[in-house]
Amino acid sequence: MNDTPRPWSGFAWLAARECHRVLKLWSQTTLAPIVASVLFIIVFGLSLGTRISEIQGFDYRVFIVPGLVAMAMAQAAYSNNASSIYQGRSDRYIDDVLAAPMRSWQMNLGYLAGGVFRALIIGGAITAIAAPLTGTPIENPLLLILAVVLLTIGFGSLGTVVGIFADSFDHTSFINNIVILPLVFLGGVFYSVDRLGTPWEQISHVNPLFYVVNAVRYGFLGISDASPLLSFGILAAIALGLLAWSQYLFATGRKLKA
Amino acid sequence: MGVTDRHHGSVMSHNDQPALSIRGLSKQYEDGPLALDSLDLDIPQGSFFGLLGPNGAGKTTLISAVCNLIRPSSGEIEVFGHPGSSLQARRLLGVAEQEANLDRFLSVREALLYHGGYYGMTRAEASERAERMMEVFDLTDKRDTRAPRLSGGMKRRLLLARALLHEPRLVILDEPTAGVDLELRHELWRYIRRLHEQGTTILLTTHYLEEAEELCEDLALIGGGRIVARDTAKGLKESHGGGSLEDVYLRTVGAGSEAGAHG
Repeated sequence: MNDTPRPWSGFAWLAARECHRVLKLWSQTTLAPIVASVLFIIVFGLSLGTRISEIQGFDYRVFIVPGLVAMAMAQAAYSNNASSIYQGRSDRYIDDVLAAPMRSWQMNLGYLAGGVFRALIIGGAITAIAAPLTGTPIENPLLLILAVVLLTIGFGSLGTVVGIFADSFDHTSFINNIVILPLVFLGGVFYSVDRLGTPWEQISHVNPLFYVVNAVRYGFLGISDASPLLSFGILAAIALGLLAWSQYLFATGRKLKA
Repeated sequence: MGVTDRHHGSVMSHNDQPALSIRGLSKQYEDGPLALDSLDLDIPQGSFFGLLGPNGAGKTTLISAVCNLIRPSSGEIEVFGHPGSSLQARRLLGVAEQEANLDRFLSVREALLYHGGYYGMTRAEASERAERMMEVFDLTDKRDTRAPRLSGGMKRRLLLARALLHEPRLVILDEPTAGVDLELRHELWRYIRRLHEQGTTILLTTHYLEEAEELCEDLALIGGGRIVARDTAKGLKESHGGGSLEDVYLRTVGAGSEAGAHG
């Protein structure tokens, strides 16, 4: 073996370890969120949907699918990285990674891969179940892929940052329950903000997760409550900003190393 | 069967360089004590070096700094002539930490396999080395057991196997025999001796003075974040007025000594 490590090896193995963890804990990491989202579609879409008028030309049961996919993927990418990194810090087995001959970006992207992988399984499964049930189309596949890539990078990186700063498991779930979930709900998962009166419609536009939901909805349905360009621009800014933050923490060792 | 297959002299040799060179290393924890105080230390290649000191003397902080696990406040570290934070230096180091910091989601075999991958091995290389290490450390029967289900002794073996998997040239063992029974302690001594005979440089910290005297060629006593004495066990005893190593320890870094009062 050469003394100079192959540059992609550490990243590839760490990414594999993170994906391995997702699969080992499949009932918690993937099954539970898929079941929860499908229940939302059945209860809100199929049961109540017939009593709600069309929104922007789509049945209600179709309208809510993109938001539910976005919400489940955001939570999955976040939760995965926050819990994996916090556990590694708490049990100190993250030292095996920090001491290894890996560059900071390899560590950051290796951990990110787990969150992206988990979110893709969940997003893919919900879409595969919901599309035939509700008839949800994919109008802009390339833009949907772009939205999903940016969403998983952004929320996975947020999970990394929180996992690095958290002093307990409660901190990681606090951000999910008190910040991400309410903002996604208020971002128009179950309704079009156009239907809200002043000032709630305007207030909704301040919520960054409103643009996340709308970027994904534009990929699926070709409709959006905000300009698609603005939605994708804000989603990209969120993703790159959070990725830069997590990279900074790995590069400097702040909070990872005393 | 050998613990390592590496021919140390043939791989990227820096024979004129010490295995570990530390200059002016200090570490001040946030809202905490000065754990290392301008510490200087050279460990020659191929030596078996023991670091002794009471709790809080700076042993684990020193090891963590060398292994890139803490951010030193100042000072320089070189490993076989490479800057301590470089990938080359990290590749040449193996560490078994005091705490059983094993990945709770991985089996014994997986823990070794992934470690090899982090250190740049191919799957085939890592797999072959993992099999070898499991055999050497009598872990083969536990290959599919996850770390939390291992006994304390088995965890110690796995920590050592993991530290040695990538065939490091400098192995750092932080109290490797703490809390293990006498039989396993002697077994671990045999592993470590064999490793040293094969040319690996070893830095061992321990609270067991008889262990240090039995294994180490060169000893340093650390207190208050500084090396306060360094010599062979015999030399230390002679230069500190005779008696046992325990007497020397108590005089130099034990409670009430000037250096010990620092830490």
